[in-house]
Amino acid sequence: MAQSATYYNPPPPQSSSSRFSLPSTTSPSPSSTSSPPPRREVSRTSLPPSGLQNVFTPIPGQGRNVGILDRPLNKTRGGEVSNSAWAFLFAEIISYSQSRVDSVTDLERRLASLGYEAGQRILSLLLLRNTLTTSSKDPKREHRLIPILQFIHTQVYKYVFGKPADGLERSVEGEDEYMLTCNSPPLTQHISIPRDMGQLSCEAFTAGLVEGVLDGLDVPARVTAHTVPTDQYPQRSVILIKLDQKVMDREEILAK
Amino acid sequence: MTIHAVWVINKAGGLVFSRTYSDTLPTQTLNATLILAGTLHGIHAITSRLNPITGKGGLESFEGENWGGKIWMSLTGIKLVVLHSIAHQGLDELMKKIYEIYSDAVMKNPFQTLEMPINSSLFESRLLGLIQSVN
Repeated sequence: MAQSATYYNPPPPQSSSSRFSLPSTTSPSPSSTSSPPPRREVSRTSLPPSGLQNVFTPIPGQGRNVGILDRPLNKTRGGEVSNSAWAFLFAEIISYSQSRVDSVTDLERRLASLGYEAGQRILSLLLLRNTLTTSSKDPKREHRLIPILQFIHTQVYKYVFGKPADGLERSVEGEDEYMLTCNSPPLTQHISIPRDMGQLSCEAFTAGLVEGVLDGLDVPARVTAHTVPTDQYPQRSVILIKLDQKVMDREEILAK
Repeated sequence: MTIHAVWVINKAGGLVFSRTYSDTLPTQTLNATLILAGTLHGIHAITSRLNPITGKGGLESFEGENWGGKIWMSLTGIKLVVLHSIAHQGLDELMKKIYEIYSDAVMKNPFQTLEMPINSSLFESRLLGLIQSVN
């Protein structure tokens, strides 16, 4: 009992009664020493009845330490991440993944699955923010294919990379293939692929992200990333979207 | 005002990158360049022990007839060496720019192993662009 009491600051006289009632509310004497010590901050404000509750009560919030999870969702200012921080994080993600895969295809699949998770979250966030900023009585979500692709081309790319994609076009080979081009992708701008991994494109992460967004809008597709360099843009990358037959069928019905 | 060559020497004194940007420099085998870079690393270490003022910070530049070399060491122990013609203006800024390219294209590249030879086409092309703008 004496031990648990030593964690307190010298108590103000009126709180002394609650201090001595502490062990009786939890359990008899021996376990009171093993129970987690109450935090100092708590005694400064007011003394809750039981020692156990002290641990779970949040520390009185100081406005300056608002965690990332406590920030309002529709507040966008100041939420940007520096490109260097991202570059180092992404480099670590890639070398971590690389030590756990056997082939380039597997590595791309791992990156894509990470991007997929990000894409699903980004979609929800963007839709929520759009609803909040426009009139909240009339929330809107695209359901036709072309507006969905344009939504990704402008809004999603602008949110993720700070600028819209450089091009959105339909493939000449098939009706169900669309291409999103980015002349200098910001996520992978510092990465140069070694020769022995020729086919790898770390933009697989972006491909996964796009796939996540499309899936969230009920447009299942197979999305892959390819590096298609030009003289002017040596890092130009193309995100190839091959839509599921289901989507094409639905579009046909909706067009009538 | 010509930049003859750029070397990058790692913490242990190994040459991890070297490129020649002028044809006036005598051609050497890679092994000879490796030995020269290792020797320069040693001289830098000796001179830093001789520094009477702070006890650290060694050889920063050397000069010969119409040519010179500039050595710059980062906090992490990477040494950038530039061989240049005399008189050359703005070498300090150039070193900073080279280091910037190094930190972007080499340190942020997941396929680069620390202390190993630099094998990044991005680093080479950006460095070439920088040197061409100076030469």
